[in-house]
Amino acid sequence: MSRQAPLVIDNGTGYTKMGFAGNSEPSFVFPTVIATHQSASSGSSNTSAGSGARAPPPIAGKPSHLASKRGIEDLDFFIGDEAVANSKTYSLHYPIRHGQIENWDHMERFWEQCIFKYLRAEPEDHYVLLTEPPLNPPENRENTAEIMFESFNVQGLYIAVQAVLALAASWTSSKVNERTLTGVVIDSGDGVTHTIPVAEGYVIGSSIKHIPIAGRDITYFVQQLLRDRGESAQIPPEDQLRVAEKIKEDYTYVCQDIVKEFKKYDSDPYKYFARFAGEHSVTGRKYDLDVGYERFLAPEIFFNPEIYSSDFLTPLPEVVDTVIQTSPIDVRRGLYKNIVLSGGSTMFKDFGKRLQRDVKAIVDGRIAGSEEKSGSHLKSSGVEVNVISHKRQRYAVWYGGSLMASTPEFYNVSHSRVDYEEYGPSLVRRFSVFGSAV
Amino acid sequence: MILLESHSVIINDVLTDRFEKASRADIQFVDYDNVRFHLSTPETKSKILLSMGIQCWPDLLKYGAREYLQNEYQQYLLPQEQTEPEYDVSLMIDLEQLPESVEDRNSLISKLSHLKSVAMSSPFLSAFQEQSNLQAGYKDAGGAQQKDFTSEQSAETKGELKIIRYREEEAIYIQASNDRVTVVFSTVFKEETDKVFGRVFLQEFVDARKLNALQNAPQVRYSNREPPLEIRHLPGLHNGEDWGYVTFVLFPRHFSNPTQAQSTINRIQLFRDYLHYHIKCSKAYMHSRMRYRVAEFLKILNRAKPEVATAEKKTASGRTFRTR
Repeated sequence: MSRQAPLVIDNGTGYTKMGFAGNSEPSFVFPTVIATHQSASSGSSNTSAGSGARAPPPIAGKPSHLASKRGIEDLDFFIGDEAVANSKTYSLHYPIRHGQIENWDHMERFWEQCIFKYLRAEPEDHYVLLTEPPLNPPENRENTAEIMFESFNVQGLYIAVQAVLALAASWTSSKVNERTLTGVVIDSGDGVTHTIPVAEGYVIGSSIKHIPIAGRDITYFVQQLLRDRGESAQIPPEDQLRVAEKIKEDYTYVCQDIVKEFKKYDSDPYKYFARFAGEHSVTGRKYDLDVGYERFLAPEIFFNPEIYSSDFLTPLPEVVDTVIQTSPIDVRRGLYKNIVLSGGSTMFKDFGKRLQRDVKAIVDGRIAGSEEKSGSHLKSSGVEVNVISHKRQRYAVWYGGSLMASTPEFYNVSHSRVDYEEYGPSLVRRFSVFGSAV
Repeated sequence: MILLESHSVIINDVLTDRFEKASRADIQFVDYDNVRFHLSTPETKSKILLSMGIQCWPDLLKYGAREYLQNEYQQYLLPQEQTEPEYDVSLMIDLEQLPESVEDRNSLISKLSHLKSVAMSSPFLSAFQEQSNLQAGYKDAGGAQQKDFTSEQSAETKGELKIIRYREEEAIYIQASNDRVTVVFSTVFKEETDKVFGRVFLQEFVDARKLNALQNAPQVRYSNREPPLEIRHLPGLHNGEDWGYVTFVLFPRHFSNPTQAQSTINRIQLFRDYLHYHIKCSKAYMHSRMRYRVAEFLKILNRAKPEVATAEKKTASGRTFRTR
């Protein structure tokens, strides 16, 4: 009997991506949210979200019979899309905040239903690959391992760092000819964008930078542009955000020169303006609107943040350069050579091209400057700058996990049940990097 | 979620999506009890090939699974020769020849997503059939020699014992007799705690049956270590500490009409997974109680910090410090 495919579960702050190793797309993508019932017996209101005030777990009401003495309130919950659908009668909880698990009770139950209801797998037969954000405290890993091994009796467990998986996913790109785990990962999801340098599979924690601009901001920006031009009068108010999101996903691209692009649009608006056709979700009234400058202005906020926000003003290429410049000097060349994109908000057309051009300009400028200072005595051989974009960018982390878990090597690096019984949860503090043997 | 659903969510989702709009697919996934699925579009986008590999296929084949699947899926089922290599059953769905109405499509999707439970139900159905035959035969015999108790005792006839080895070491045993169908599950617990939870949980079944509302539920018995009498004669049975045997006794009222029979089968074939799911849920519940306890104890400990004594400090000459 061959081994069964490992389960790959990527729990993000916003969305959980899960499926089986060896596939190219996750089988399920749904919000990381759990809807629990506030049981009547617990009585007291416990709406405070603070970690200090913890509500007692639900217990059954007055027992009248032997069999009804044990309640099943702890099974009365929904996760994902079903949780959102039931939000009227249940209360929603987000067990993960800022990438880290905050509420272990909810997370354990969330996993319970992920595995049994959606993946329909007996965890005792499978290996599991989970992901963690960079700088996850080791206590969290231990807790995770404890739950996985003791509650679910999994055969084996591997906890991978998201950035490393994103690097592995970039191996599918035709531009990559050597499989290396050194590079900078630009991970941009819905809430926040991270730039994470990774050297040979280890995250350089001190150089990580966060950018408070991501998918949601772009949507707001599109909405704002539409409103400024007066287009949004056509859209029903409740649909505005959705329409803005649709426009962001379907029409936008990154331009190479913003001034030229404006001129192009002004000289021949009919050629460049697009039409968006929508329908009112309730009345069925049809409407359509012009999609204009926002086509190239929306993703531009990564490169010129001043057009959107007044408190964060550093363009993305500059952030990337700073991240690499603060990393140890002997890996900088490798980092410049391998800048990898991951997450939905890096999917804009020509995003990689523009980023590569801008980073290259910064690097070349610095080299030229130092050559001049040396009095033109020293000549640099130049630094190679490469931004890798590939087809699997949207679920890059999950895909990287699926890729790694389908290699035979996976079984050697993951922590097996036998090891866990021997060493206990502290086992996962030691972490063997994947691909180090490649 | 108390009961596990009997259909596969992935098949359901993917087919609902593909019925709207054809696109490429190549997905491998699993279901409980070592079942593997492969959903792909080998030739064109509009032709979906759904294959299933199931561990107990040789056993199922013996009890007419192939014929039953043929009956259920008709034109969609591919003949044995065309089955995808490494898999046991293949279905081909042509998206260009789907039923017109929405209801028909939905019922087709639901039928396809029940593929595993349909395949597993053939031995149950044949046991139910056997039971009704035996019952008919028994009545005749009983009518002829009503007074003779001894012969009536021995006249209790039993059908063939059906064995489905649905997992590596575990099996389902089904036996029909004149007035009931007995289903025995053997299950192995890999961990000490699981065994305890399992025993407590199964005791609940026995207790629950004492409730008036649940009088009609099938009788459940649980035996640890020793296999029940029905299957004790079989060679190669394990009787160690780790083994548990769960026996269900189904009476004709549990499978009198086809819909009821099907729902009985759906429930019972997932019983092992149901048991293990609830063991895991109970552990999760225990863990959350423990975390709560620890948090409460920590609060008490934090309160118990000794107060710092604020005694008056004096210099040698008897002056006191004044804090400003």
